[in-house]
Amino acid sequence: MWIPILALLVGIALGLFTDLSVPEQYANYLSIVVLAALDTLFGGIRAHLQGVYDDRVFISGFFFNIALAASLAFLGVHLGVDLYLAAIFAFGVRLFQNIAVIRRILLVKWSEKKKSINI
Amino acid sequence: MKSKQRGKTLAFSIVFLVAGFLLSFSYSITKDELENGEVSSSSGSRYGAQEERLRKELLDKQQENIALQDRLYEQQDIVREYEKSMSSEEQAFFNLAEDAENYRMFLGKIAVEGPGLSVQLEDGKYDPASGNVNDYIVHEHHVFNVMNELFIAGASAISINGQRIKHNSYIVCTGPVIMVDGVQYPAPFTITAIGDSDVLAAALNLTGGVRDQLVNDHIVFTLEKIPNIKMNPVIADS
Repeated sequence: MWIPILALLVGIALGLFTDLSVPEQYANYLSIVVLAALDTLFGGIRAHLQGVYDDRVFISGFFFNIALAASLAFLGVHLGVDLYLAAIFAFGVRLFQNIAVIRRILLVKWSEKKKSINI
Repeated sequence: MKSKQRGKTLAFSIVFLVAGFLLSFSYSITKDELENGEVSSSSGSRYGAQEERLRKELLDKQQENIALQDRLYEQQDIVREYEKSMSSEEQAFFNLAEDAENYRMFLGKIAVEGPGLSVQLEDGKYDPASGNVNDYIVHEHHVFNVMNELFIAGASAISINGQRIKHNSYIVCTGPVIMVDGVQYPAPFTITAIGDSDVLAAALNLTGGVRDQLVNDHIVFTLEKIPNIKMNPVIADS
């Protein structure tokens, strides 16, 4: 289980030390992609805690959401409509919902554990 | 089961790799932007970029304007230089034109208008008892005398009986008439001169001058100042 964590660290290092520069007009895409990735990650954690986790759903959702967000932003830029706002809104709301669900589940688990210890 | 576990780990690894890369990459880019002093919040970055571009464009244009203005000043200096040299040339041209005008006037090529006087020379009353008839008529040398005196006194243009005198005019005495440039005129002769009439009259009226001589030759001499005389140019070329 520590290989994915190692991969995360490698990814962070790659991102920090690459000298790639993104043109100004693509900064939106990047922000949306980051948001989509975060959303999917938290969604996966939530699903895992709720016991409905599925590998294929998680992995496909991760990449598909990223691609969808980027293409949505691309479409918005070319149509002159700020469609990336819609993506940010959707992902942001879902992010908060997922985090809220995770928090509740964790709280319930914690209180149950405490109860069991007390008893 | 083992291979499935491994595949799962690989997929997770890729997912986390991508996630970590995205996060840190976006973080480092945002940090760069902040360090470059670009005031662009993540949501308004598009407008920030646009604003930045427009501002850069504006600066470029201003720079360009300054350069162009400098060039304009240079060109204006050159033009002024040209004008200066041209104005001196113009002065020279003007002088030349004036000279040409004067010469044309003396040549009789242009119409001349101005104040002046007219002198009329009439044959004297012939008294058969007192000698030669020739002593009583106007000869060409009388006309010459008057003309020369007028020219010396500063007349600009002279005509005899309306015939303009030019630089190479000739006057011949043919019996009782005189010929001016081939045109015969009988007495009386009217010599018209354009110039300062006071000066011209004074020159003719000098004591012992032209008038006295003419009167001595029994010629009737009439002098009249005319405020405005107009003389036509001699068209025929010679």
